[in-house]
Amino acid sequence: MTRLEAVRAAVNNVQFNRFRFWLQLFFFALLVYGGYLGVELGKSLPTFACGYNAEGRGGMCYLMPLQHQMAWSWQKLFSVAGLTVLTGFLTFYLWFIALNKGWCGFVCPVGTIQDWMTSIRRKTGIRYSRYTWGQFKGLALIKYVLLALLFIIPLGIGGGWFNKDLKSPFCMICPGRTIIPMFAGDFSYLTIDFSSKINMIMTVLGLTVTGLFFVGAFIKKRFFCFYCPMGAFHYLLSKPALLRLRKDGSKCTRCGDCYRVCDQEIKDIADDVNRKEIMTDDCTLCLKCVASCPENGALKATFAGIPIFESTEQGFIKRMHKGTPDGK
Amino acid sequence: MENETSKIIPIQPAPYSRSRQAGEAQTMLDHIVDDFQDNPQSMHYFYDLFRQVYCHGEEVKHEGKLVGTTCIHAPEELIYAFGATPMRLCNGSYHYDQKGADFMPAKSCSLVKATLGMLNADKVIPKIGKPDLIVNPTTCDQKKKASVMMEGMGYQVYDLELPNVKESEAARVYWRRSVRQFAVRLRELTGKKLTRKNLQAAMAKTSRAQVAFRTLHNFRLKSPSLILGKDAFLVTNAYFFDDIERWTAAVEKLNEELAQREQSGFKAVQSKAPRVLFTGSPPIFPNLKLPLLIEEAGGVVVTDETCSSNRMLYDMTAVDEWMVNDMVDSLADKYLKPCTCPIFTRNDDRIRRLLDLVKSYGVDGVVYQAFAGCQVYEMEYRSVADAFNKAGIAMLYVETDYSTDDKGQLSTRIEAFLEALKNRKKHKASIV
Repeated sequence: MTRLEAVRAAVNNVQFNRFRFWLQLFFFALLVYGGYLGVELGKSLPTFACGYNAEGRGGMCYLMPLQHQMAWSWQKLFSVAGLTVLTGFLTFYLWFIALNKGWCGFVCPVGTIQDWMTSIRRKTGIRYSRYTWGQFKGLALIKYVLLALLFIIPLGIGGGWFNKDLKSPFCMICPGRTIIPMFAGDFSYLTIDFSSKINMIMTVLGLTVTGLFFVGAFIKKRFFCFYCPMGAFHYLLSKPALLRLRKDGSKCTRCGDCYRVCDQEIKDIADDVNRKEIMTDDCTLCLKCVASCPENGALKATFAGIPIFESTEQGFIKRMHKGTPDGK
Repeated sequence: MENETSKIIPIQPAPYSRSRQAGEAQTMLDHIVDDFQDNPQSMHYFYDLFRQVYCHGEEVKHEGKLVGTTCIHAPEELIYAFGATPMRLCNGSYHYDQKGADFMPAKSCSLVKATLGMLNADKVIPKIGKPDLIVNPTTCDQKKKASVMMEGMGYQVYDLELPNVKESEAARVYWRRSVRQFAVRLRELTGKKLTRKNLQAAMAKTSRAQVAFRTLHNFRLKSPSLILGKDAFLVTNAYFFDDIERWTAAVEKLNEELAQREQSGFKAVQSKAPRVLFTGSPPIFPNLKLPLLIEEAGGVVVTDETCSSNRMLYDMTAVDEWMVNDMVDSLADKYLKPCTCPIFTRNDDRIRRLLDLVKSYGVDGVVYQAFAGCQVYEMEYRSVADAFNKAGIAMLYVETDYSTDDKGQLSTRIEAFLEALKNRKKHKASIV
């Protein structure tokens, strides 16, 4: 065995969930508390590094400046100043291309919080719930509606159709705005703003979503990700991304093990044997499917075309079948 | 027995080991053991097991309630979790095939007839004792209709409802519900409860066995082969009735021996021996006629796609959260989704699986066994043949049953097929 093969084998045998837990924790600390250590990754991060966590944040979620810029008056937006919008988007895009939706599965603090809630639920022995197929198909569209509104409403403000208080409409209902500052000790966003009718409506809506988030994420794995407009935005831009999820259908037995562990209940991952690029719009690229696939090389994560994590029989047994001789 | 003659001349009933039925098993076992040199040492566990059970009629012991299963679709982990023992009833004996002929139309599957014949016999071989419950998954028509007949023989039968489409979401939901209902039935039967602990232990037991099987399966990738197909079939056949932990330990031992063989560069067959993939109706001891004919003629069965071997043990579960609901769902998925049984409406999965096996096992040709009267396999022949034709893979389709009458004719066909495979191989080699 060459050295490269040995490294590959070690990676493919990794206790994936443990690895992912620590990586998520690292990114969580970086994005939620990094600011205290002087980390500043800019304002174009393709993940929920919430800007309302003013001091602690190690970077800012791109949706915040994006909505802000979209709400400029049209005169400004379509002038030379509009170039700022383009450079912002370009930075966002470069960040995004590196990790693709891996930003959701590994980096996003809101995603990580949901995974922690899942762990708590699991410890209490309460079972998870799932959508029926009909619900799944219907609800999957919500993220696109939110994404569209995220552009339309700010543009409408710039065009003078909507009230200025509606600015950053998605931030107002995003659970990140209320929850992430709490991790830095700031509970001030758990209040209703009575300064105007619209502010009141939006903050009440935001608190409602926060409530839903806590209940939802407790009983449903990655509850919010299914509705996240950032996820939809990612998917629309994912063509040239470097990190990819690939499937070799000829090796697939359609046993459904990958679907079983999928937090997002994605069926295609198991059932589709024709598509090579298997990442769907609901996917968070958490790679749990790769870790749970028993067929050598049926699923793999590649970076710039180079396989970095591949499904293997041995790794599968080690991870999924503790108690067997190979699984320890 | 109690007729006039026996009153006058007391006739001792012949011991089972001298019966025609035992003879059938003995002949087969002799062929398997004696016709080949260099049988693996650790195979003797299995040879002895079959000799004891099939030739001497010794009792097969079990723990707790005995649950007979008539198909691979009955989740054995659930049965173990309730402290009961599953026992696969599918039978391969010609003796029982003839006895069971009364129950089924003339042209029907030997396997179903033999199973019915066995269950209807006074002395059931393998001597497992009377099952407390028989689980009959609603698979092919013949098995479905066997339910009532088994009930008529005085058995408790549970129809485990299996959908006949497996792609749809409705099928998945329906099957999950079926499996849950089966768990309820098992609770009634055993009076025990399904807990996280006992289900997890049961699943670990099965997965250890599956890991042992997969390891064996991987050793068969090696060319020239380290082990013959007849031995591999015997190993998986033993899984039907053997104690699962003892079976696993024996297979692990066999694997160790194969690892040694691999290191020492051992060859169980000649390097040129055509490598054969066996698919279709399942070879079940003592009906290992066809795999044996292939290997006696100089071929080697390197892998298979049958429900008495690969399909039964290959696919493993993945559980995300070790709680009863998730475990049961994952079991349900395992027994439905990857299954390549021909009873389902479409069967792209079987064709894909076959093509993948051909590729990964370096297969030279495929032998497709269809039991006369096993309509689903007979009907699926066409689509499978088309797929192989397209891929340029040679296939021999054999329609047969449990009788040995066609042995001569079959051996001629198989020899010709293997000869053709050899020529193809030579031809290919000369081109390269």
